[in-house]
Amino acid sequence: MTAQLPPGLHMEKVDERIMTLNVGPQHPGSGHMRLIVKIDGDFIVSCDPDPGYVHRGEEKMAEYRNYITNIPHLERPVIHDSCNVLYPYCLGVEELLGVEVPERAKYLRVIASELNRCVYTQYWLAIYGIFLGHSTMFMWPAGDRELFIDMLEKMTGARVTHAYFVPGGIRNDVPANFEDMLLRRVDYFEKRIKEYAAIFYDNPILISRTTDAGVLSREDAIRLGTTGSTLRASGVDFDLRKKEKYDAYGELDVHSNVLKAGDSYARSKIPWLDMLESCNIIREAVRKMPKSGSVRVKLKPNPKGGDDEVYKRVESGRGSLGCYIVSRSKPEPYRVKMSVGSFRNLICLPYLLKGEKLGNMPAVYWSLNYWPVEADR
Amino acid sequence: MGTATGIIKALNSGIKHLAVKRFTLRYPEQKLKFVGDGYQFDPATGVGIAGYKGRHMLFHDHCTGCQLCSIACEGVAEAIAMVKVQEDWKQNKKAIMPQIDYGKCVFCGLCVDACPFYALYMTNDYELSSYSKEALIYTPAQLQVKPDVQQDAELVFDDPRGATHG
Amino acid sequence: MSVIAPKFRLSYFIKSILDNAFWAITLLTLIGLPFVQVILFYLELPVIGGRLLDPYLALTILADPSRQIPLLQSFIQTDFFKIAVFPGFGFAALLAAGTIFVERKMLAKLQLRVGPFYCGKIEGILQLMSDGIKLLTKEIIIPAKADKPIFWAAPVLFVATAAAFVSLIPAAGGGWVVADVEVGLIAVFAIIGFFPVITVLSSWSANSKFPFIGGIRALHQMVSFEIPLILSVLGVVILTGTLNLTEIAESQDPFWWIIFLPIGAIVFFIAMLAELERIPFDLPEAESEIVAGWLTEFSGMMYGLVQLGSYLKLYAFAGLFVVLFLGGWSGPNIWPPFPEEIIEKGIELGPVTAHFPGLPLLDQQMLNDVLWYVIKVVGVIFFILLPRGVFPRVRIDLLLHIGWYKLIGLAFVNIFIALGLLYAGVLGPEGIL
Repeated sequence: MTAQLPPGLHMEKVDERIMTLNVGPQHPGSGHMRLIVKIDGDFIVSCDPDPGYVHRGEEKMAEYRNYITNIPHLERPVIHDSCNVLYPYCLGVEELLGVEVPERAKYLRVIASELNRCVYTQYWLAIYGIFLGHSTMFMWPAGDRELFIDMLEKMTGARVTHAYFVPGGIRNDVPANFEDMLLRRVDYFEKRIKEYAAIFYDNPILISRTTDAGVLSREDAIRLGTTGSTLRASGVDFDLRKKEKYDAYGELDVHSNVLKAGDSYARSKIPWLDMLESCNIIREAVRKMPKSGSVRVKLKPNPKGGDDEVYKRVESGRGSLGCYIVSRSKPEPYRVKMSVGSFRNLICLPYLLKGEKLGNMPAVYWSLNYWPVEADR
Repeated sequence: MGTATGIIKALNSGIKHLAVKRFTLRYPEQKLKFVGDGYQFDPATGVGIAGYKGRHMLFHDHCTGCQLCSIACEGVAEAIAMVKVQEDWKQNKKAIMPQIDYGKCVFCGLCVDACPFYALYMTNDYELSSYSKEALIYTPAQLQVKPDVQQDAELVFDDPRGATHG
Repeated sequence: MSVIAPKFRLSYFIKSILDNAFWAITLLTLIGLPFVQVILFYLELPVIGGRLLDPYLALTILADPSRQIPLLQSFIQTDFFKIAVFPGFGFAALLAAGTIFVERKMLAKLQLRVGPFYCGKIEGILQLMSDGIKLLTKEIIIPAKADKPIFWAAPVLFVATAAAFVSLIPAAGGGWVVADVEVGLIAVFAIIGFFPVITVLSSWSANSKFPFIGGIRALHQMVSFEIPLILSVLGVVILTGTLNLTEIAESQDPFWWIIFLPIGAIVFFIAMLAELERIPFDLPEAESEIVAGWLTEFSGMMYGLVQLGSYLKLYAFAGLFVVLFLGGWSGPNIWPPFPEEIIEKGIELGPVTAHFPGLPLLDQQMLNDVLWYVIKVVGVIFFILLPRGVFPRVRIDLLLHIGWYKLIGLAFVNIFIALGLLYAGVLGPEGIL
């Protein structure tokens, strides 16, 4: 075929040894995303992630709704981490409208955010276990997160997609004897997740499988712009709860966990250590929370921001989640852009999987703390 | 030898967990208990009262037909439409009340936040399945009925052999 | 199929009855009678009380229960009983079905949840039956480009090979094995060597990428673990001096071989897990990477047959482990003896005393053997099922590393121990034990 190709098309010769495998959305090992993997025997030659299967146009829809009606749909990128997805949006709108959130609301927001972080991490850990073939590691986290989902349901009224944060505070105060129930559940939860050590994190088969799989060096992690647990597993101590100190995190003592190895094992261990840390944060927040007070600032009906723009970011379960809002003196925002941790970590995937064995693909892919729905928004 | 001890410890953990009680909630024989009576909103203070966001309940003696709930839902799910009712209320001259389509409702509760007359609350009822889409549209008369729920299972932590739903 | 029913007329009705009767009689005489004659010609009928069993005697036996006992006894000695009921297919299938149910329930308890619960009043006992019925009624979909003869034949071959494997395992002393072969152990390994071939055939004939990868992985795995399997058993063979499985079981009278050859037992156990494709070695069926591996394209009863074959293999391996290392059926005599009075005097039912000459059907020693065999097999199966809840899957290169380096090394250590025990005069044919 020596005919001239039209401009813009190029032809490449396909090597006979290479097989293209479509680890597609309809696959038990891929989540809602497609990975076009080219393998040569057992080694991956190239991996082309193909996100976009769950794109729902969240950012465009936000331009047609006012600041309060934006809440139910903007929280849907990650349904069980919904408070963390709404957090930067609420902080941004509060700065645009110039409202100051009451103290008690700040602490309750912190508690809700940490509960959501634990709930999300348990779900992520469950899927990680099942990707590696460990069915017990699917059932135990999925069962143990019930404790906190129950708690969130008592607080917010819904098990997932809570629609709890609003610009101005939170929508409702907590029920009576909430602290007592919360602390009992936190204690039992901490006891349960410490059991994961014997069966998962110290399991020699897991260690041999995930150590040195997809090693991300410190320089590469910074250069590629990763965030969240992926970054902290490569030796960079970066936690937005400590750096930006939004809401009540300024008064709480947050200790971020850092591991130096940068392989899948470290990336799978950091969220577990983070969960143990969240339990401590929740206990401290409950202790320091003002016992009474208002939890919401009454906004004017149809609040309008001035001609302004604001960018706020928050440490969610997956990494830094930022929200950039542009307002043009109308009840609806002019532009809402959400910058999510999953999409930023996705850039590592083709880089890490090149030359990796096919058996390591689920271990590396999911260990990047990746949530496909959030990456697509 | 580290491998062997790791394997034995994992097996040991597995065998120990054979003695732990099962955590499952046996739905539908057991149903989870919720705090309170459902999500409510107090327009005087502007703050909600914690509760489960289930099916709505409309108090016909408070509703004035102001349509604020419908307007609030327009940006979210467009599940509330105002319909004419055959009832005669002093505060509801236009005789219109909301009807809620549960095929579209996302149970966010912004309509409850919008009502200024203490007329729209949410209840603990979440079992709303039906055999046809038309049956999911609840008329104001259907929304008036307080649901009869049998929810009494709670998490029990006292047993040393593990927490259960009981 | 909505046809308006024709009007009822008595003549039509009688005509239809006569038609049915005509065809029934014609088919019975033209096909049924020759069929029965051929069967009776070839079937070996037992001799009861000096008379050959003929239809008159059979019908008399129905009327007089006391004469059924010799019939049953002669039936138990036939080959057909050994193949179909015990210790062959019926017994193995029962244990396999029990294993599947116990596996699901035990795994559920370990994972803090309830397993099958609603099928059957007590904790979901009838779940297996409903699964079987479901598989029977599902449509069998054959991929368009698949190699149809081999694709159809593969599950059947799988079950047949598994059944052949089951037929070599003795379940009780005194020749209770379907096929009493002098070199039973080598026959077992010959049959085990056939499994990778079937796996590759079924994955190749499915003509699809994921079964292809799964089949290649299964081939690597099974072939690389067969060598440690055979080597680990060599220790037992050296010390026993025979390859006959019944004799190996009987030679463990005072001491079980696992006490002297623990390393061999462990190597055999790990290699067994790999041959059975159980977690942690279930790469060929790795759900999260290659959908269902070489089983992907099987649906309906073909899948059911493959599962049945899988669990028959599990029972057979557990039985083999018990026979080789755990002493087969030896154990203290705890089965109660058959009451003497019933043999001599019969049972009193009111004014009538019923005599049952020929009792007991099965003697006490055999029942005791079976009891201990079942207890040990259940114990081994428990330890095979347990890693499923505890370990993740190994990767293919680690698996090959284990199979070719570590396990063969350990197996050789085991052989040296066996040789040492033999030449030190401790065990073996001239040993002190």
